[in-house]
Amino acid sequence: MQPVFRYTHVDTPIHRLHPLVKVTYVLLTLVLVMYPIKASDMPVLLIWLGFSAVLWTVARIELRRFTTLLKILTGTFIFLILIQGFTYRGGHTPLIVLGHLKLWEADLGVITKEGVWFGLVLCVRILVATSSLPLFVMTTPASAIMTAMGKLRVPQTVTFMFVSALSFTTLLFEMWGSIVEAQKLRAFDIDSMNFVKRAVKAYVPIITPLILLLFRKANDFQIAMETKGFGAPIEPTEIETLTARPTDYLWLAFIVSVFVLCTVLKFS
Amino acid sequence: MTNDPIISLQDVTFTYEGDVVALHNLNLTARKGEFVVVLGANGAGKSTLCYLISGIVPHIYGGRRRGRVSVAGLDPWDEPLYATAQRCGVLMQDPEVQLFMPTLKAELAFGPANLGVPRDEISKRSREALALVRLEGLEEHNPRDLSGGQKQRAALAAVLTMNPQVLVLDEPTSQLDPLGRWEVVEAIERLKQKGDLTIIMTTHETEEILRLADQVLVLERGEAVLQGTPSQVFTQAERLEEAGVKTPALIQVQSRLSGHEGDYPEEKQVNLTISAVAQRARQAIQAGRLVVRPAALPSLRPVALDRPVILEARDLTVEYPGPPPVVALRGVNVQIRQGEFVGIVGQNGSGKSTLVKCFVGLLKPRQGEVLFKGESIRKLSIGEIARRVGLVLQNPDYQLFTASCRDEIRFGLRNVGVPAEEIEQRVEETLRMVGLSEEADLFPFRLSFGDRRKLAVAATMALGPEVLIMDEPTTAQDHRGRYQLAELARRFHEEKQGTVLMITHDVDLIARYAHRLIVLYQGQVLLDGPTPEVFGQVEELKKSFVVPPVAAQLAAELAPLGVPPHVMTLEELWQVLVPQRDRGGE
Repeated sequence: MQPVFRYTHVDTPIHRLHPLVKVTYVLLTLVLVMYPIKASDMPVLLIWLGFSAVLWTVARIELRRFTTLLKILTGTFIFLILIQGFTYRGGHTPLIVLGHLKLWEADLGVITKEGVWFGLVLCVRILVATSSLPLFVMTTPASAIMTAMGKLRVPQTVTFMFVSALSFTTLLFEMWGSIVEAQKLRAFDIDSMNFVKRAVKAYVPIITPLILLLFRKANDFQIAMETKGFGAPIEPTEIETLTARPTDYLWLAFIVSVFVLCTVLKFS
Repeated sequence: MTNDPIISLQDVTFTYEGDVVALHNLNLTARKGEFVVVLGANGAGKSTLCYLISGIVPHIYGGRRRGRVSVAGLDPWDEPLYATAQRCGVLMQDPEVQLFMPTLKAELAFGPANLGVPRDEISKRSREALALVRLEGLEEHNPRDLSGGQKQRAALAAVLTMNPQVLVLDEPTSQLDPLGRWEVVEAIERLKQKGDLTIIMTTHETEEILRLADQVLVLERGEAVLQGTPSQVFTQAERLEEAGVKTPALIQVQSRLSGHEGDYPEEKQVNLTISAVAQRARQAIQAGRLVVRPAALPSLRPVALDRPVILEARDLTVEYPGPPPVVALRGVNVQIRQGEFVGIVGQNGSGKSTLVKCFVGLLKPRQGEVLFKGESIRKLSIGEIARRVGLVLQNPDYQLFTASCRDEIRFGLRNVGVPAEEIEQRVEETLRMVGLSEEADLFPFRLSFGDRRKLAVAATMALGPEVLIMDEPTTAQDHRGRYQLAELARRFHEEKQGTVLMITHDVDLIARYAHRLIVLYQGQVLLDGPTPEVFGQVEELKKSFVVPPVAAQLAAELAPLGVPPHVMTLEELWQVLVPQRDRGGE
């Protein structure tokens, strides 16, 4: 399994794009999802999500890379839809009535259509938020990320923490898979448990060894990095030279235009 | 080699926080171009010595030090780590944690770029390092996509671009398969030939360093118990055994031959070849000092074909999705009979682990099926399979999570629904069997690596499986620890009449225990048969880089003189080759 956040070396227009253009895309995505949210924001969010999907397609990144992430998010989505379904203040069209328990403006015994819709909007918002950073890191080599962040005057330590955290995710996914397998061998099958059972008791046998192993690996990582001079009070050599091409400006203009369109639609 | 000491340790004692004395009164001097090999059992202090020389202690692991240390003119204790790193590079066991950049090119540039080395100089150093480790042309590859041996060579190249004067190699081959080990040792040999680096290497693989070592240091509980040239150290087999270090098999044979040749001074040469030692044995036989007694060796009795088949892989094909997709098994057919002890060997990526994961239902084949006693395991739940077929994975740390060893064993038993009173009985029984009764209430992570592995074996055995599978129990394990685990498998096999499958790269070990050997190559069964027969097919074995045990190779050389070809271990060789005076006493 190829984990999310792992850079894939493919020659596509998105891979060739100047890292700062991709950073702009990530930042604009974050701005968009930070706007105050309303139930009517679905079209705006879908436009940006569709735009991201186009970028994903051009970058030739397979959707199956996100299977694990989507599995994790599915639980969050169900939770959000249910909680909003029951508690959304503007909800007035009952979908499912389990009873009546009034709490301020909400009736906690009723799942409302408006609540479910708002829950869906929140889910799409999360999808939008989580779709941009993986695109950036999966299409930009770490050395280019470091150079780009250097250009943005981000301190080297912060940059490297970010880049090494990305490397660590690969290990994390591998370790997770190995631990799940090891516990299955003792008849503990997390994959066959339902959502509630997983949430209640299943993660201890998985998370505990994961944390202990992560501590150990983190030590090894630290050794590997510091014995290669990381953190030295010396101006590091810039390995990648980044030059902007006309296509980078075109992409930048395109990204900004879509963002402006979304902003206008949202506030109009 | 010049006379200037590059590394100098004088009366060094190091104590970790928590008052664990890791090194005691250690003295070591190494000069430019010298290759020092450090041996010892797990926990002897080898890694601490590496940390001390490379500055990892005290800058990453704290502790107290007495005595004087000098490495390329610096005391690593007083210098920041990046300063020591410019003179002393360190390569660790696990290549996975040493490679963090997306391309090999970026990986090699990482160190020197941190130190502000000009870009042209970085390119030059990278080219040289890649040529030395023979990874040219892979600059744009992701290091994580390389094979085990390539990864470790990539990590080595990344250390070399720091331009160190001292290179510390902490068990660099312990997690590799035979091909990977050979590749890394070959790269290290080229480094030694260049002559400008002082190299300190820790290892358990004594055979592979014989032709490299100038000086050998043997540690036991932090103290130097043997120190000198390879010939001074390796001729002291008994002391090495006490320290948990394996004396290379050819030296053992030579030493035995010398012992039977009263008129000859004991041979001090240690860098030996099979043909040279065989020639010496041949001379001893022809001169009548040794007598060949083939009848002394019982003929092999492999498991009878009338025993029922307990586990069967039928036309198994497994594909990993990738990208790119990898076919790990291609139409594999294997039958395991009840009571067999089967060894599985082959290169990493040959399909060994994939096959055993199919046996326990962890992997679902794209085609074919696995049968347990004639029934497809598809119908069985994970728990039902666990009670029938137990698999002990390589790394015990993936499964240990409870507060005590007892709880660790209870966990699986509860999952399969064993009654409470029976759980306690099984816990005590398995703890006793693996020799961990006294550690029963300890937090598992406080155990040594070897004991954690034993605990993992206990947790599996407690479930009462009829088949026990061990996946590379010898990896990263010292000589003594390997045999302790293999002995557990043997006891399961003999005392519980269990069936054992063992994946390993250690041919000496598997030759001693397994009746039958399966060699996998590129996802297919290359060879399958009684162990001596399989080890006899030398040319076929070459495809998968499996080399027969030394005793088997010697037996093959001495076959024209009547030595039976199914000699697999040195003990068997001694049974067959008897000194004339011993025979006289019959």
